Amino acid sequence: MDQNIYKPIKCEVIDNIKESPTINTIVLKPEKEFSFLAGQFASLTVPGFGEAPFTPSSSPFDREKLEFTVMRVGRVTEKIHQLKKGDIVGVRGPYGKPYPLEKFKGKEILLVGGGVGLAPIRALFLALVETYKDYKKIVFCCGARTPQDYIYKDKIFGEWQNLCEKMPLSFRITVDKKDKTWKYMEGVVTCTLDGLDIDVKNAVSVVCGPPIMMKFTTLKLLEIGFSEKDIYLSMERKMYCGVGHCRHCLIGDLFVCKDGPVFTYEELKDKPNIWV
Amino acid sequence: MEKLYIKFDEWQNFLNGKLKENKIYAPIENGLIPIYEILNEENFKKIVYDKARTVEPFKIFLYPFKERIVPEVENIDKIVVMGVTACDLKGLEILDRVFKEGDFKDPNYTKRRENIIIISFDCKEPYPTCFCSLVGIKPYPEKNFDLNLCKTENGFVVEIGSEKGRDFIGKDTRFYQASESQIREREEERNKVIRKIEEMNRDFDFKNIEDLKGIYQKEYWEKLKDIENCVSCGSCTFNCPTCVCFLLEDITDVGNFRKVKVWDSCLFPGYARMASGATPRPSLFERYGNRLLCKYWYMMENFGILGCTGCGRCISGCIGKIDKRKVITEILREKVKI
Repeated sequence: MDQNIYKPIKCEVIDNIKESPTINTIVLKPEKEFSFLAGQFASLTVPGFGEAPFTPSSSPFDREKLEFTVMRVGRVTEKIHQLKKGDIVGVRGPYGKPYPLEKFKGKEILLVGGGVGLAPIRALFLALVETYKDYKKIVFCCGARTPQDYIYKDKIFGEWQNLCEKMPLSFRITVDKKDKTWKYMEGVVTCTLDGLDIDVKNAVSVVCGPPIMMKFTTLKLLEIGFSEKDIYLSMERKMYCGVGHCRHCLIGDLFVCKDGPVFTYEELKDKPNIWV
Repeated sequence: MEKLYIKFDEWQNFLNGKLKENKIYAPIENGLIPIYEILNEENFKKIVYDKARTVEPFKIFLYPFKERIVPEVENIDKIVVMGVTACDLKGLEILDRVFKEGDFKDPNYTKRRENIIIISFDCKEPYPTCFCSLVGIKPYPEKNFDLNLCKTENGFVVEIGSEKGRDFIGKDTRFYQASESQIREREEERNKVIRKIEEMNRDFDFKNIEDLKGIYQKEYWEKLKDIENCVSCGSCTFNCPTCVCFLLEDITDVGNFRKVKVWDSCLFPGYARMASGATPRPSLFERYGNRLLCKYWYMMENFGILGCTGCGRCISGCIGKIDKRKVITEILREKVKI
């Protein structure tokens, strides 16, 4: 008999980092190698408690550890926030289609992430950084509600910006509502797209964030001239199996778990209630 | 496929002999529609050979309502299931596509599928809710069975569908080649049943069923007043031979992973609700419409097979007395109007 598709790989919790008032990053050491491509997701089990799908936020090139950045919104995520070093959890996957990096070669890449939506974008960004010579340039637009709500603060406001010196990379950083210490832009994430220097005919955009953010970012991208097939969205739906059996994640006839979670706007535009 | 014949009394003796070494389920007399029971020396005389589908969908033998999936079930019995009808065998094609034939194989289903012998029956007395003719299915099995039984006046025409079926009969000499007249009797019976089902469904029209494509908007579904009677009980989905939706639950077993798989229904308001509280289908009309779109469109896209087999269980089990045939006939007319 083949390996049971629902049996998770045991992972030890090696850290649980508080990123913002509602978001933590848990760092796991899998019992055996778990590899994934940027954009793919995995199901994370808290034994005896529950399971939920997340996209890893660590670099796909990191073979030692696996990280998930999780917002506390429900029963399982609450439990994940309470995990301590040494606890054992389970991971199964990876599932779904990744970002098609082959198609991104030679292009300008626009990353737009909002709130906890920066998590999958982080995995993609770290993959792009490893292979930056393949792309013409990378523009990373980040948004969050307030400066406190930002995740990866030491990276976004520090380490990652230093990379701009050695590669064609730039950041456009905003918050919906600033405070006294804030030195970047103020306004919802779409305002980072105003006056953008990008060749839309030779660019792709990758968007991840809350539904309302993805909706307005997509509309704005279309307005600036991006074609529907060059806008990549990372979708979320209720999900159990992750393998196209349980049918909970269908958007019309498309499985988020199998046909996605990364879709182009062109694939989704005629489907029902996509911005939920 | 090879066709044999056996007299009624001889079949009863044959089956009685099989009871000792096999766990056999068969449809048993229960008022209008037969229900499944495990056969014993008493009830095997009450097997119903001359009606139509059972109360329960055949899927319960391969995909039970609730089962442990991590670790997978270890001891899966070999069973024989009798009385499976053509509609349920069509449903089996979808179950196989989902759980057995894709990149990911469900361990329990795969094992159960290996361990089952299917003895199907021709439909003889269709119920008022039967509508296989509307979805292009015949009221007699043509494939996916190990043996098929068609009751004739004094016995059965037994069609062999697989090696498993042939082995079940073995070299038993009570079976012999069916004669041309016995086969002709079967064909005549079959045609009568087809005509009966067509006649019962003459007020319904599924001709342009592919027009359901793209009818997402709740405005369409809200026009159909019958849908208001839906109480989101999930009976239509649980009784459906092709509904496969389930949820996974982790059960407490400190330090170990234990998961169970339980049927779920897209009619339940919480079915697609995410942790944020948002759901893509907040209204009853959208959920009801979604189920029909899944049956008549999404499954066609996903598997190349229509997700409705015309068994009618969604109609006979509906607390709100919704006749899906009427709903579909009306929505197709509405679409033309708008």
